[in-house]
Amino acid sequence: MAEGTLYDGLTAQPHHVRAVAEAGRLELSQDSGWSDSVDPALLQRIDAPRGMLRLGRSDVPGWRLTVPAEAEAELGALLGKRERYGRWIDRVGLVPALVIGGAITASVVAIGFLAPHWLAPHVPMAWERKAGSAVVGDFGSMRCRDDKGQRALETLVERVAPGATKGPDAIKIAALDIGIFNAAALPGGYVVVLKPAITETDPDALAGILAHEVAHIRRRHVTEALIRELGIGAVIRMFAGNVGANAEQLLALSYTRDNEAEADADAIAMLKRAGISPKPTAELFTSLSRDEGDAGSSYGTEFLQSHPLSGKRAQRFAASFNPRTHYRPALSADEWAALSNICGSEQN
Amino acid sequence: MDAMTSAPAVSGRSIEFTGSLREYLPIAVTNALLTLVTLFVYRSWAKARERRYLWSRTRFIDDHLEWTGTGKEMFVGFVIVAVFLGLVALGFNFGLPAIALHYGPAAAAVSVIIFYLGLMFLFGLARFRGLRYRLSRTWWRGIRGGSDDAGWTYAGKSVGYTLAGFIAAGLLYPWAQAKLWNQRWNKMSFGPLDFEAHVTSDDTRGAFFGFWGALIVGNIVIAVFTDPNVVVFGPGLPRLVVPLLCYVAIGATYLNYLAAYYRAAAEWTRIGDIEFRLNAEFADWLKFYAATVGLAIVTLGLAMLVYEFRKWRFVTAHLEAFGTVDVDSLTQSQTHAPREAEGFLDALDIGAF
Repeated sequence: MAEGTLYDGLTAQPHHVRAVAEAGRLELSQDSGWSDSVDPALLQRIDAPRGMLRLGRSDVPGWRLTVPAEAEAELGALLGKRERYGRWIDRVGLVPALVIGGAITASVVAIGFLAPHWLAPHVPMAWERKAGSAVVGDFGSMRCRDDKGQRALETLVERVAPGATKGPDAIKIAALDIGIFNAAALPGGYVVVLKPAITETDPDALAGILAHEVAHIRRRHVTEALIRELGIGAVIRMFAGNVGANAEQLLALSYTRDNEAEADADAIAMLKRAGISPKPTAELFTSLSRDEGDAGSSYGTEFLQSHPLSGKRAQRFAASFNPRTHYRPALSADEWAALSNICGSEQN
Repeated sequence: MDAMTSAPAVSGRSIEFTGSLREYLPIAVTNALLTLVTLFVYRSWAKARERRYLWSRTRFIDDHLEWTGTGKEMFVGFVIVAVFLGLVALGFNFGLPAIALHYGPAAAAVSVIIFYLGLMFLFGLARFRGLRYRLSRTWWRGIRGGSDDAGWTYAGKSVGYTLAGFIAAGLLYPWAQAKLWNQRWNKMSFGPLDFEAHVTSDDTRGAFFGFWGALIVGNIVIAVFTDPNVVVFGPGLPRLVVPLLCYVAIGATYLNYLAAYYRAAAEWTRIGDIEFRLNAEFADWLKFYAATVGLAIVTLGLAMLVYEFRKWRFVTAHLEAFGTVDVDSLTQSQTHAPREAEGFLDALDIGAF
């Protein structure tokens, strides 16, 4: 028998009662003669501080019986199992729930991580072209439009990737009058080269850069990066033609380290097939890595960046140099002169 | 049946939190683990468990509070709201360009304004219903709280007061905040008793102007010191230290305002014969938040697992209630117990009061 306090759920008035477990039921009584008998199936345990056992009734809101914790020995038999983590977790148990949940979470994350790689090849090129033309359209006034220069640029792409500028999935190359040393592959088979990447290099190194960007497009790395960074929704929006707002995001896409390494390997193979020396590209990366060194980066930061450090990339290109091969220049002197002049005549 | 005629006399504090970290830690850790491995689905159940613990270890006069909200109802509320907000975002993303295309930029601008007003309305509604939900799931001596108001009027007024707060460079903000506190709490009840709130900005205005001034002056100083064209006592340290000090000063004055606001809110809110006092001063809040940041840094963020516990302990340690409860007249609440939980509040991440 336990002495306790009962609230009836009607008023806040406490009632002093005796509680007994009898014949599988909870029997309550008072000296006044009042008594009640409760079906144990209706009883619920309720969180209470240490030293108290608190019960509720599923059929009477606010009905609360509080007895000392020692009553557990007698009343405990009437009560069901305590709900701990929530019924769905309790059913399997904490540890199995953690293991199963962990496995499900890991696979969902893995799918999210791998999906861009799997999906990219299946995104129609036509969707990408819409996005790409919208972006290049935005660069209208920045684009370098010298005809001879443009032809030379296309010749250079054809040298490293024969046939690349023709057909429905043609690579469309454009030079932009922007003063940053860079080149980028954009959705829809667009490759842009910024002015310093032409005026501060030589044809062979530029060939290496272009081969790298062409490889990104052919391997669908651009689409992959698009899905990874902007989500599948972005690709669908692209299909809907609503791209203008995303132009800046498209330019800021970055590739995974695996993708970069793959594009480098492709570029090396393309240079080899074209008979262009990989040495100038290697030298370019060496000088870029020296710039990175000046900026205070180190080999340790390679893991933090999507671009492998230029020093490592330089070594890969340099290693592919074969002294016995008879390399030919990527462009003739005339073509290079025209290309150097693509953005106007004040330089070189 | 016989009722006890006199409630047992309680010495000392009327509100006391008896929870311990040793009891709470296993709850916090398993909550965090389960939340992680269920892709955050468990979050609603975790919240329910956490509140069941905190409420049940909180004594008010002679009985402990009880939280009866369930993880399931909170999860359902969250899903409904997530779907709704998703649809709203979709409408904004696709509908707006369509409006701009078909009716011109003026129509698009009007749509944006309507959209933001709508969001403010929903924010107000969420705040009201979140409070109503919490009271309806909070029990004491077998009696619960609630409200018979659906909060539509409050939501409308909250848009008005919030906009008014923005006018006059934000100087009316403390007035708007006090008004809104009263608007919400005057619609709430516990058992048959209505809450009465009469907060005015008299107690908070001064602290707010301090914050407002610090914000203006601080930003000017920061702008001057971070401007590379301005030479300040030579290069180096002042450029870093002075703006940092400004941010600290702005934060401190804001905390001072919050302390004043919650103190006034507690002081001017009552229910039946019960009055409240929150004796947390600026220094107490500062200590609490400094400890929060310090612990988070030292434990690499793990201390945030027990943040809710620490906050509850802090508030209950400083909150006091005075007066008597007439337990005979404290009958069961006849308010409609809302079925929806605080999904919206949760989705928008709005605080407790």
